[in-house]
Amino acid sequence: MVDLTSATSLDQFGLSIGTPAIRSVGPLAFGPDGILFVADNVGAFIFAIDPGDSGEGEPHDVNLANFDASLASYLGCSRDDVAIRDMAVHPTSGSVYLSVVRGSGDASVPVIIRVAGDGSIGDVALENIPHSQYEITDAADEDDPRLVTRMQLRTVTVTDMSYVDGLLLVAGTSNEEFTSTLRRVPFPFNGDAKSNSLEIFHVSHGKYETAAPIRAFVPYQGNTSILASYTCTPVVQFTLSEFDSEKHVMGKTVAELGSHNHPLDLIAYRHDGGEYLLVCNDRHPLFKIACKDIDGQGPLTVPDDSMDASPADPVTPGVGVPRQLLPHPGVKRMANLNGDAVLMLHQDDDGAHLRTYATASL
Amino acid sequence: MTDNRRLRLEWASHQGSDCLQITGWSEAELSEMTRADAGALSRRLALYPSDALGASGGYATVPPIAGGFEVHDERVLFRPRFPFADSIDYTLMIDQPGSVEPETWTIRRASKASVPTARVLEIYPTAEVVPLNLLRIYVQFSDPMSDGWAERAIRIRSLDAGQPLENVFLPPVPELWDSERRRLTMLLDPGRIKRGLVPNLESGYPLADGMTVEISVDLGFRDARGQPLKATAQRTYRVGPALRSRIDPGRWSVSVPQSGSSAPLSVTLDRPLDHGLLRHSLSVQNSTGNTLHGTTAIGTSELGWSFTPEPPWECGPHQLVIEPRLEDVAGNTPARVFDRDICRPEDAPQANTQTRIPFNCGPVTR
Repeated sequence: MVDLTSATSLDQFGLSIGTPAIRSVGPLAFGPDGILFVADNVGAFIFAIDPGDSGEGEPHDVNLANFDASLASYLGCSRDDVAIRDMAVHPTSGSVYLSVVRGSGDASVPVIIRVAGDGSIGDVALENIPHSQYEITDAADEDDPRLVTRMQLRTVTVTDMSYVDGLLLVAGTSNEEFTSTLRRVPFPFNGDAKSNSLEIFHVSHGKYETAAPIRAFVPYQGNTSILASYTCTPVVQFTLSEFDSEKHVMGKTVAELGSHNHPLDLIAYRHDGGEYLLVCNDRHPLFKIACKDIDGQGPLTVPDDSMDASPADPVTPGVGVPRQLLPHPGVKRMANLNGDAVLMLHQDDDGAHLRTYATASL
Repeated sequence: MTDNRRLRLEWASHQGSDCLQITGWSEAELSEMTRADAGALSRRLALYPSDALGASGGYATVPPIAGGFEVHDERVLFRPRFPFADSIDYTLMIDQPGSVEPETWTIRRASKASVPTARVLEIYPTAEVVPLNLLRIYVQFSDPMSDGWAERAIRIRSLDAGQPLENVFLPPVPELWDSERRRLTMLLDPGRIKRGLVPNLESGYPLADGMTVEISVDLGFRDARGQPLKATAQRTYRVGPALRSRIDPGRWSVSVPQSGSSAPLSVTLDRPLDHGLLRHSLSVQNSTGNTLHGTTAIGTSELGWSFTPEPPWECGPHQLVIEPRLEDVAGNTPARVFDRDICRPEDAPQANTQTRIPFNCGPVTR
């Protein structure tokens, strides 16, 4: 267990000491002063917790082969009973945090794992900790008088989160409407949240538009833009200032990463004066995109069938930002480790591994 | 082994929590362990899931199970930080001073006896014919279910070819459940539905006009208790042409009840609509704009919707209110076509507002 040594002001972030009713753990994101946001898709809440990380220590490389076996042992179960849902790195201590579900169904236990600088595994105590919570409501059902049973059929499943300048940006998928919405939740949580419906012009389908939900996104360019990735797999740039009102926002499609593919994670990092983005995918390899190319890329609004002509070679699109394929198969999650390195969670036939790569090597 | 003693490992309860109890220690060991602090005890004793030790045995390369050892009289207890898992073996390793190899003891955690009770109540849509651009299905279970089984236990196959159909569903990660974990939403890969998208060009539609397909839910789908289903479930569809037009409430027919009665308002729809969204995208308002209380029902094949008010109908004008979020089984709404061809002006998106159908509840006429 991790000791509660943090002195984060409870008042400053509206946290109170108690035991958050966390039913499951999913996407993670760090906020100000080491506050950790944890999405609970079963309970339909986002929790802000103080994980008790003093923030001290030097960021360090983390390389743990067969990490899932270590995790299963620590959690006292078989590897089949361990599901790693997301990964985030503490911005100053460099400790690695993972949301992990141990077991399934009624027997499942949500766990926040912390991997310290020496590679040791611990878990964040989720009892009697400073925390606050935001309910992911779908307002339409709240005062619906016609529902005889109050069973909530409509739910929103959080797919990704990022904290930007006092706002937690939350991408989610509804289990009913096929729509794309980005919520902006002020932190400290005050119950007030705004949302924008999003629409993109899908590069590969030219004439057809889509309102598909965002799977993963990352802020970049000093938090003025976000790059979002969608299923099958357009990559779309949004300007954050356009989210100011609750209006419908059109994104600029800048790349198409290929067919039968789903983006898993996106990160931004700087190297040698430039800013770069990495996109990992469930079927395609890891892609690297230079942000300067996104700026120079006009919106893609014409059909592109280049990848139909060579579906086995998704690296050489006919249109869109140039992208580089990196030789890192099986990357499921990524995190910017310390500015000079990127941490990747790899999955292969042997299991899951944490590996650190210097940005200069990417 | 010390003093030829034999340890006994058993599952026990201590102060209300499950623990592993180890007895049979020599007096020297007990004396030493009683004096040891928690740190020293955890260096001497460590518990692992046996699987985690792998074939190598000997010293572990993984961390021991989170938790702590305590000495109570002649017993050593291990209290785990997380509950013990059923149906696996646990190995206790004891570091023996002067010995290269640790001493190991193993105990199995039995599985809890239970019988399957969960079953599939329905697979939606319930229509016999679905358009080839079908966007989603719902599987309604009787009991709360476990995460992580959708990809393994839900299958679709062509009955014509007798072959499974691959890559039809979007990978269900994360899985989409209702709040009670009884209804699962499975999306068909929209990339394969939307015309012109790369996957669609490469592979065609997941379904083909004229095909007969069967969606099945395997016994292996686990409920929240970890039990399999009581029975498999299947639904067969004939696949019809694509459906690419806005929902047209102007083509709905409304059977208006008489005032003073509690007869349902019955609406016949222009096409099968999405079962989930039909549940809460339609409502009835009275002349003052208040939404009426009552119960709703969805008709066969999702082709009808009815509303029974509580209290009975008042005399006067009413409105059937249709929320713009309502979708048909192919994702078309009253405002927009799911995969709109921007060259077809008639398919241009309309204002994303409510649609209202006025009707008048009159008295019984003789």
